[in-house]
Amino acid sequence: MGLICDEKQRGGFEWGGLFFARPPVCLQQAGDKPIPYLRGIRVGQVQNNNRKMIWTIGGGKGGSGKSFITANIGICLSKLGERVILIDADLGGANLHTFLGISPPVLSLSDFIKKRVFHLREVLIPTSTPNLQLLTGAQDLLNAADSKSVQKRKLIRSIQSLDSHTMLVDLGAGNSCSVLDFFLMSDGGIVVVTPEPTSIENTYRFLKSAFYRRLKQSVSSSSVKDLIDGAMDRKNEMGIQNPYDLIKAVRRVDEGDAQRMLEETKTFHPNLILNQVRSKKDIEIGFSIRSACLKYFGIHLHYLGYVVYDQDVSNSIRRRRPLVLENPKSRAAQCIMEIASKLVNRP
Amino acid sequence: MRPIKDQTYYEILEVSPTATAKEIQRAYEHAKETFHADSMAVYSLFSEEEVEEIQKAIEEAFQVLMDETLRKSYDQSHFQTVGGQLTERPSEPPRGSKEKKPSLSFTGLSFNVEDGPYRGKTLKQIREKMGIELQAISKETKISIKILESIEEEVSEKLPALVYLKGFLKNYAQSLGLNPQKVIEEYIHSLEELKKK
Repeated sequence: MGLICDEKQRGGFEWGGLFFARPPVCLQQAGDKPIPYLRGIRVGQVQNNNRKMIWTIGGGKGGSGKSFITANIGICLSKLGERVILIDADLGGANLHTFLGISPPVLSLSDFIKKRVFHLREVLIPTSTPNLQLLTGAQDLLNAADSKSVQKRKLIRSIQSLDSHTMLVDLGAGNSCSVLDFFLMSDGGIVVVTPEPTSIENTYRFLKSAFYRRLKQSVSSSSVKDLIDGAMDRKNEMGIQNPYDLIKAVRRVDEGDAQRMLEETKTFHPNLILNQVRSKKDIEIGFSIRSACLKYFGIHLHYLGYVVYDQDVSNSIRRRRPLVLENPKSRAAQCIMEIASKLVNRP
Repeated sequence: MRPIKDQTYYEILEVSPTATAKEIQRAYEHAKETFHADSMAVYSLFSEEEVEEIQKAIEEAFQVLMDETLRKSYDQSHFQTVGGQLTERPSEPPRGSKEKKPSLSFTGLSFNVEDGPYRGKTLKQIREKMGIELQAISKETKISIKILESIEEEVSEKLPALVYLKGFLKNYAQSLGLNPQKVIEEYIHSLEELKKK
């Protein structure tokens, strides 16, 4: 098909039956810092044992492949020697365990939320992959997505205190406050998008909600908080159409808050994974989304990579076997490995 | 974080101020591909008017940055070299800002003028009121005196092609501390009216 060229010709290395490719040339652009892809790293060795990274995977739209990507990236990272915990925070619709080939576990986040266990680590489930544990979601808790703010904060604190190198938190669809707060708790929020208008539309809505919520958390004035809430509606009476208008309006109310919002903008760097790409044109949509976010929000979205559309993905899900274990040489698995190698090398 | 009207041409095209012509060309193609009405990447995020505004800014940025003379002149008026690196002039008023007061950057003088309509003779009057010689404008903008004279006298047959004229008007307006966008629009409009007559 010619979409993915022969990676072995471009360099890379084999490991444990898996081939780790170099980053696709098309994902390197002027201004991007070069990433030392797995240079000098051996299996079982990580660069810095003290660091802890939390990646939250969201994106607004259901069915974009968040859980599939979370499960498979988690396996890749653990194979690279990282201690990984996968957390299914799709409260009410959890099924990350299925992507890992694990039957619905007895213990879940429900037990923690309902105080049947004292510590979150008590509900961690080992998987067949060394270094990889699973914390499954609250399947039977219908109102879990709207869990009380106190519960939510406690849950987030408990997740942050878990002992692991890397945590991947799989979020549910939608823009509920719970989903947004989980997304914002991370060191790096990742949105998974498919190259379709519906998916892109939901992703922008998700990013806007997350961005405005983060801005709201950074300000102190209640009138500024109200202004931010009002700005979420594009047909607002204040005529605020975009973040620039919002900051301009805030400046009239509270200069200090406007400055804080500008500072927040500089540090809000979500990541993007484009899933189910079928052509080179699809791959380029990721760069266009990045440019659109820069022009609209003034934020730097990092395009982590893409996963090609591959029938092997569907086959692996049906077999309840993770793709990177079931068919590591498939094109989609190669793409996931590249993304995982980027994550492990992120500063 | 700045709205498109206040961004530098380099920011509009997402390239560094040291970008090569090839990089600018590539960035322009990417920007054109991204910001058009049917692009999936702008769907639901921008209104049609916003996309049009971005398209105009992209075209303007490309035309200036791909022209060696215009780019040099633009760089001189917008950037300074600090520690061997090109950085944006901090004192430079935002591009296209309608709120700024006209000021003369190289003398530090401030001179309030009535807003347009800007024609050749208006520009000349403003310059003369400010007590600035045409040579000084030429030195700052790197525009030849002959062209500046043609601009002021509105000698249409001696004026350069529209794309260059816009660039020259922009630099001339900036050197007088006027709103470049307003000057360009009104000057071109008056020129068209003159041609009709």
